[in-house]
Amino acid sequence: MQLSKKHRKKLVVGASLLALAGTSHAAAPSTEELEKKIEALQAAVDSLKQQLQAQKTATAPTPAPAVVATAPAASAEGDVDPASQTATRQDIDGLRADLENYKYQQQHDHDTAQALTLRNTNINGTIQTRYAVDTPAVSGGAASPSSPRNSGFSIPLALVSFSGSLYKDYKEGRNLDYRLQLGYAQSSPPSANAYFNVQDAYLRYSPVPSGGDLENPIFNLTLGQQLLPFGLEIQTDESLRPVINNAQFLNGTGLGFRQIGLVARGDFSPNVDYSSNYRAPLFEYAIGVVNGSGPNVQDNNNNKGFVARATYTLPVDYTSWLRELKIGASYYQGGLSLLNGTTAVNPLGYDHFYGVDVYYNHFPFGATYEYVQARNKDAISGVGTPGVKGTSQTLTAFYTWGEQFLNSSKSQAKYDDYWPKSYQAFARWDQWNPNVDLSAAKSAKSTIATVGLNVFFAQTTKFQLNLNRYLYENAAVANPATKSDISELLAQFQFGF
Amino acid sequence: MKQHFLRTLATFALAALTLATPAHAEDKPTVIRIAYPGAGTGGRPLGDTNFIASANYLSALEKEFKADGIKVQWTFFPGAGPAVNEQAANGLVDFAFHGDLPLIVGRSTGISHHIILGVSRFGPTYVVAPVDSQAKNIQDLKGKTLSTFKGTANQLVLDRVLEANGLTEKDFTILTQNADNQKASLATKTIDGTIISPWDLEARGIAKRVLTIPRDPKISSVSTFWVSTDFEKKYPQIVQRVVNALVKTAQWSADEANRDKLFHQWAQSGNTGYGDFVKNYQNYQLKEINNPLLDDYYRATLQKSVNEAKRYKLIRHDVSLDGWIEPKYLETALKEQHLEHYWDEYDANGNIKK
Repeated sequence: MQLSKKHRKKLVVGASLLALAGTSHAAAPSTEELEKKIEALQAAVDSLKQQLQAQKTATAPTPAPAVVATAPAASAEGDVDPASQTATRQDIDGLRADLENYKYQQQHDHDTAQALTLRNTNINGTIQTRYAVDTPAVSGGAASPSSPRNSGFSIPLALVSFSGSLYKDYKEGRNLDYRLQLGYAQSSPPSANAYFNVQDAYLRYSPVPSGGDLENPIFNLTLGQQLLPFGLEIQTDESLRPVINNAQFLNGTGLGFRQIGLVARGDFSPNVDYSSNYRAPLFEYAIGVVNGSGPNVQDNNNNKGFVARATYTLPVDYTSWLRELKIGASYYQGGLSLLNGTTAVNPLGYDHFYGVDVYYNHFPFGATYEYVQARNKDAISGVGTPGVKGTSQTLTAFYTWGEQFLNSSKSQAKYDDYWPKSYQAFARWDQWNPNVDLSAAKSAKSTIATVGLNVFFAQTTKFQLNLNRYLYENAAVANPATKSDISELLAQFQFGF
Repeated sequence: MKQHFLRTLATFALAALTLATPAHAEDKPTVIRIAYPGAGTGGRPLGDTNFIASANYLSALEKEFKADGIKVQWTFFPGAGPAVNEQAANGLVDFAFHGDLPLIVGRSTGISHHIILGVSRFGPTYVVAPVDSQAKNIQDLKGKTLSTFKGTANQLVLDRVLEANGLTEKDFTILTQNADNQKASLATKTIDGTIISPWDLEARGIAKRVLTIPRDPKISSVSTFWVSTDFEKKYPQIVQRVVNALVKTAQWSADEANRDKLFHQWAQSGNTGYGDFVKNYQNYQLKEINNPLLDDYYRATLQKSVNEAKRYKLIRHDVSLDGWIEPKYLETALKEQHLEHYWDEYDANGNIKK
């Protein structure tokens, strides 16, 4: 076997080092011998340095064939394997010890310090702590006996939710998901006690592949207790709605209460702008059947409620001024005779509901408008008089300083607990007239004008300031408690986990 | 009471107007905002595989602007090129590094910027499958599930590889995933193939190569550094200084004496291991892959990418290179640093110009 020049050189250096090492076991060396050995060692080190430098600077850019099918184990001659060059027995033993320690710590924590569930579960919660100032004094929500108050603290909302997948389809996304949400509710009539009611309780199945691909249409079936897919306000999540209070029509019509039933939701022809991963389905739809008797109770009659909603979104790119311009229409037919504690909701017996809405959100500003008409046509609920018609109009406009609503900003890579601090100013006009045919003397028409500011300063926390002005066409009818218009200042922290 | 309410409303409106009024323009910016498409494993603000990432590791721009009191703000986006485009569309970016597809798609939808530097080019391409895959070549994967990060340069590379083998995206189910998820999906065999650096995955017994393309200038793409036209209009002298500092970093990254340091530096992000960098670039000079020139190869490759994006229906509007590339800052930097002949110029086919 003939050695290459490079290998011969290595052999000579190695032999020199061995020879030097061997002589060290002989009789005690003189100073001269030691100096010679040091010189020889220095020469060996210099030689090794030169070889290392030669290896570093040796570069050979050799154009290779355009496409080469590769056998898995194939390795080009001269391949460098850095792992085998650097790892020593000590390194591996150290790594093993670290790994064993880590495994022990993981198992110990798993057994003693972690909450466990049978299936994948996300636990979330939302809490509101509020201070309200009212002029004139109000007494709503207070336990008897009481006298009117001008200000007070309250916890208007506390939610805990559990959600996750009962079956996760990794390949095609045909997941079976669940959600359970429990919500704090003040007892009615008010007392020192409170309830923790079941709000959402449903299963959701996606029978078509979604696979996380933006271009795939979405379709899912939701069975259980859920919000009605009607209009904008009802379905807007707390974290997105700029205003503290819901629009008046949610309680006035009963549409804001959850219903038990089966709803199919989906979209088709999604327009995807990959420049910004912006997905805008051309059409979205929801259609379903529900009891119509509200949450946490059995159906109270044989009439089911039918709900349908469709929206159209302009198929434009992310940079277009018309981005996120969506027009929607909703319809619900069915009896809604509900009780909120001992208070009857929908006392006028509305059984047909029509809604149209426009949604426009072009960061940093946006606006929404929603019109709802509620009619008692068939007296399905057995209450009220057929022919009654109520209407609602809600207009909201907002402007944001900061990047709270940009996905790219929210997901940016940071070492610390970063969140894009943002300020959102808004104005809202919310009008509800339960019976449009009544004269001004009997009218319960009310309007709430609101200006406000939201400060988003952490991922799940915001501070909200709302100045509300309640204006009544006839205060004696619409608000018998105060018999006058009301001004209200609400300051609220909303935080979640 | 109504008057009181109107007064309060007016106060709110005034406060909103005050907040909305833009600050007075200054001679120099208080901050330079640089967007980086990608992040380290686990969402760490680190980059790799190009000299823009090196400039961040070396604090090259921070040093350049320290004396002026100008803050350099790097932002790393796990959402990659599309996330950078979202930022740019909302006026939140002054400079950005971009792969070819998001750069082109962004331009096609109206994002206004000027290309001022090439960044990286060439390099190997590997199609990788789960370790026990029966596939011997990419044809064997037909009808199966491939993964790419849609909207990024990787999608265009995948499309080129498929086209070179007589295939298209329609022959597969294509999932969109980032690199971390692609590695996990190879391990769980949720996908049947993807384009990724293979060495670490092979060493761990997770994956195997199905196709290796050591060097093909028609498959690999060029990446880009751009400045927003608004920023350039306001601060051209700052743009020049940014380019000066980055060209200096490009030269450091192209110096063979720094090969080991460079690969260790890039490996800090955790996306690609040190060993993978060593193997991927063992047959390349650093000068080849870290090349800032806007030469014939850069222009021809970008034009080819535009044509492909149109052909693969990834863009709906035409994109022209006319007026998009602004080489004057690079030319000045090369001249000032006597680097006019440091990097080889390549022709449209990826060969060194004689």
